[in-house]
Amino acid sequence: MIRIVIIALAIAMATASVAHAYPQYQLSHGDATCTGCHVSPDGGGILNENGQNVAEQTAWKDGNGGWMYGMTKPSWLALGGDVRGAAGFVDPGTASAAAYPMQLEVAASVHAHGFSLHALGGLRSPQDGGSALHVLWSREHYVMWQSNPDETYGFYVRAGRLMPTFGLRLAEHINYTQKYGGYPLYAEAYGLSTSYVGHAFEVHATGFVHDPIATSAEKGDGGAVYAEVRLGDHAAIGADAKYTSAPEQKHTYAGLTGKLYLPGPDLLFQAEAEIIEQHVTAGAGDKTTQLAGYLLASKPLGGGLLLDVGLGHYTEDTRVKDLYRDCADANLHWFVTPHVEGLLTARVELLDLGGSPTGGYLLAQFHYRL
Amino acid sequence: MRRSIALAVALASGCGTAPDDRPATLEVITLEILAPTCGQVQCHSSTTNLRGYALDTVAGARAALADKTSQDGLLKVSNGKTKLIEVIEATGGKRMPPDVPLADEDIALLQKWIDGGELGL
Repeated sequence: MIRIVIIALAIAMATASVAHAYPQYQLSHGDATCTGCHVSPDGGGILNENGQNVAEQTAWKDGNGGWMYGMTKPSWLALGGDVRGAAGFVDPGTASAAAYPMQLEVAASVHAHGFSLHALGGLRSPQDGGSALHVLWSREHYVMWQSNPDETYGFYVRAGRLMPTFGLRLAEHINYTQKYGGYPLYAEAYGLSTSYVGHAFEVHATGFVHDPIATSAEKGDGGAVYAEVRLGDHAAIGADAKYTSAPEQKHTYAGLTGKLYLPGPDLLFQAEAEIIEQHVTAGAGDKTTQLAGYLLASKPLGGGLLLDVGLGHYTEDTRVKDLYRDCADANLHWFVTPHVEGLLTARVELLDLGGSPTGGYLLAQFHYRL
Repeated sequence: MRRSIALAVALASGCGTAPDDRPATLEVITLEILAPTCGQVQCHSSTTNLRGYALDTVAGARAALADKTSQDGLLKVSNGKTKLIEVIEATGGKRMPPDVPLADEDIALLQKWIDGGELGL
């Protein structure tokens, strides 16, 4: 029983989502940028009014997409929050059952005259040795200035605890390009981030230091940049780079992203490829090069359904023969109401194209957005 | 030049071509194998410390691997195999990591490190 609970916790958090954006709706709804739907310039978290409208348009059942179904609040206050849980099976060889909580967080943004204060906090499993105090935490808290507070384009400057903008930033962060490619879960750091989001292109640059108090997936100090250029109304290409220096190792990431929407079949493709150099500086040291890639195709099916099919590749060490893995993902989202989402997600993973044991999972996830 | 060509070939094919000659040290097995798999932040990391194991740093791994006697000691040997290798190779729902099995090459390097006297521990 204990083992089942441990497995459940491990997989739960391994597949935990932290309310990142749904860029599957980019380009197909006339919102080419994250700011089209989100308050933050790099997406995720609190939805703006247009994001709430998109949630209403894409849901199966009608409803008010506003916070708490349109509950009255001051105009200077934006609120959000997410509750997620999941259950299912892991390890295709044995189909071990797993059920677990994933996320319980609330978010608030207070804004006036172009300045705003954002905070995102909630519960997580006991951290840092199990102290009950560490069950409460805040992944993000930062101040932001934006040049055009009533628009979705312009300059943005953020300072505080945040996720350095990097890569595609899909909600399913177990994608190889995120998990191994420089955008893992809980990698928020303290930093200064500047962004320009325009009609034709956007650029983000972040300098950061690791959290000196709470442990984080990001143990280094460094910087990240991401730039994306839109090619007409239905395509975009991007490039990113990130460098982190931690006491035991340094990482350098560089990659490319691409997005292509095909209006006829209503199909959106997103792709990301990263090359990673890991330099172990501790002990006798070592230096490796890794590759991570992901291709995701998304298609709305009507009735609030959205199907994603993804393919991933990860080369753990380019020096070593056959040290790579590939995966095939399928995610069926069902946006039941503007606030309720069901997700059936499955992965089959092959090591060395079947030369080693396979991995994977089949999980049903519940998501409620406040 | 030869190294550049080898790297170019490796990049083009997405995988390496050489046998595994990675150094079997604590630092390498921790930061290149255990940390990206077992030591993800939500599992056996210094953040979550699941079951008392923090395998995302060398210090954490050293502490976790130092115990060779207790029931949960990762290097405790039973039936000729350490607990670490046993759980990584396990079947029947007992394998770790449960959804992302380690590659044979990684398991072999871990065993090589153990057989070599656990360099760096």
